[in-house]
Amino acid sequence: MTSTAPGTQPSASQDATASTRASDDGSGRTDASHATARQPVLVLNDVTKRYPNGREALRDVDLVIPEGDFVFLVGPSGAGKSTLMRLIIRDELATQGEVFFDGENLARLPRRKVARVRRKIGAVFQDFKLLPSKTARENIAFALEVTGTPRRRIRPAVDRALQLVGLSQQAEQYPRQLSGGEQQRTAIARALVHDPRLVIADEPTGNLDPLISWEILQLLLRINQLGVTVLMATHNADVVTALRKRVVALEEGRIIRDEIGGRYHRQG
Amino acid sequence: MLRFLVFSLARAWQGFWRNAAMSIAATATMTLMLLLLSGFFIVQNGLLAGLQFVEQKVEVVADLRSAATDGEIEDLRLRIGALPEVRDVTYVSREEALQRFRDARAAQGEEDLTKYLDANPLHASLEVKLRDPGDFAAVTDALRADPLVERVKNITDLVSRVLAVTEFLRTAGIVILALIAAIVLFIIINTIRLAVVARAEEIEVMRLVGASDAFIRWPFVFEGALVGLLGAAITLGVIAAMADPLSSFMFEFFRVLPIRVGAIARDVAVLVIGSGVGLGVLGAFVSVRTYLIR
Repeated sequence: MTSTAPGTQPSASQDATASTRASDDGSGRTDASHATARQPVLVLNDVTKRYPNGREALRDVDLVIPEGDFVFLVGPSGAGKSTLMRLIIRDELATQGEVFFDGENLARLPRRKVARVRRKIGAVFQDFKLLPSKTARENIAFALEVTGTPRRRIRPAVDRALQLVGLSQQAEQYPRQLSGGEQQRTAIARALVHDPRLVIADEPTGNLDPLISWEILQLLLRINQLGVTVLMATHNADVVTALRKRVVALEEGRIIRDEIGGRYHRQG
Repeated sequence: MLRFLVFSLARAWQGFWRNAAMSIAATATMTLMLLLLSGFFIVQNGLLAGLQFVEQKVEVVADLRSAATDGEIEDLRLRIGALPEVRDVTYVSREEALQRFRDARAAQGEEDLTKYLDANPLHASLEVKLRDPGDFAAVTDALRADPLVERVKNITDLVSRVLAVTEFLRTAGIVILALIAAIVLFIIINTIRLAVVARAEEIEVMRLVGASDAFIRWPFVFEGALVGLLGAAITLGVIAAMADPLSSFMFEFFRVLPIRVGAIARDVAVLVIGSGVGLGVLGAFVSVRTYLIR
């Protein structure tokens, strides 16, 4: 079990490949035929999730997210957004249907391989989930330490992530010394430090004021431009409507809308 | 593998000190529980030694015929002494029996009545000590069958009463020790669980960033072992400091009993270290498990 842990980190050269992966549509618009031509990072095939208490959180969900996409996941609270996120990081298993991440069927994945798949996904949350006893740098380094990364590779990777989110100056501060926006940027840096293929962000701006929310969004867009696929669940209508990215709307566990260049609310 | 081990040990050490309040609480609980367990273990051992001592007091006494010659008696003594049930045979001559009687009277402050006698009325006897008082019947029979023996004192009632009491106390001791062990088990595991639950956040982050189960689990297991080891060390220190006063107390209490804490020191050390480390590891393993399996 332990022998699988170390030595599996993506190499530093991945940065180069990441930039070549960068999305080819500067406009932010993608037409459907183009989307299917690219390798999908995430595929949900007729997925239903029923919890032991009988509640159906997701029903017959079909979703394909191609590499390099930026997708907003919208819908009222309890629509199934968080459940969808948890299926992707294989915190939960689908009751019916299949979830494929990076070509792997998560339901068929042996337990010992789950951790390795999670390293290809960076997760960002509304409540940041930073450890209060660690500095920003240590919080980011933690993600590498606990996955068995050799020490000499940790420092440069953390520096790069800090630089990317613009926190090099605040690296030695503790979360309580950082503003909300800085805390979220630390969390994003931690999500990026493994060079993930997909970043999932569950209401990343939910606790932040509008100006800071835009900063976080700019950061996520920049990450997307570096070739990382981003799936962001949000209630922030202004942001969604302004950016005209792909919008997937959930309601009562079903996808009721999936449009490219969409707004937060249905048009008309 | 080596890196993994270094990582786990380093994180266990860090985890212990960064959550000092929780670790100290866990170690204190561990220490108290181990003291409780080892205390009862020592008392239990004292009890067993005491019961054995009482049981060894049971002896079969055979009065010998006055006509028996010294050679015949010596012969009988050797034959009885060779029986597998017999631990020890003592010959008490008529003169010795009389002297004992006088001593006993004197010790009680009573008048020496023997001076009114013109001859020694007592019999010479063999006092047979048994390995196991339960075997008294076989020895009694063997003695009764011998022509030199005039009579054998009937000790059936005495033996059955002694055995009933000692058996009861032995069972009670084991039951109490088992109960204490169960209590210690649950309290220690729960304490370790609390220490793990206090760090659920950390475990969640580890899972999210893709730490393998081994990388999450083993630091906690080592930390549990550390708490156990530290608790055991403190416990053994306390016991060592108390060993001499405790030994003399038990010696006083049980009178002539050969009970010394030092004699069971190795058992106590094995018990304390084994259950401390074992329960620390078990508690951590079980507690982290609930966060891993999903």
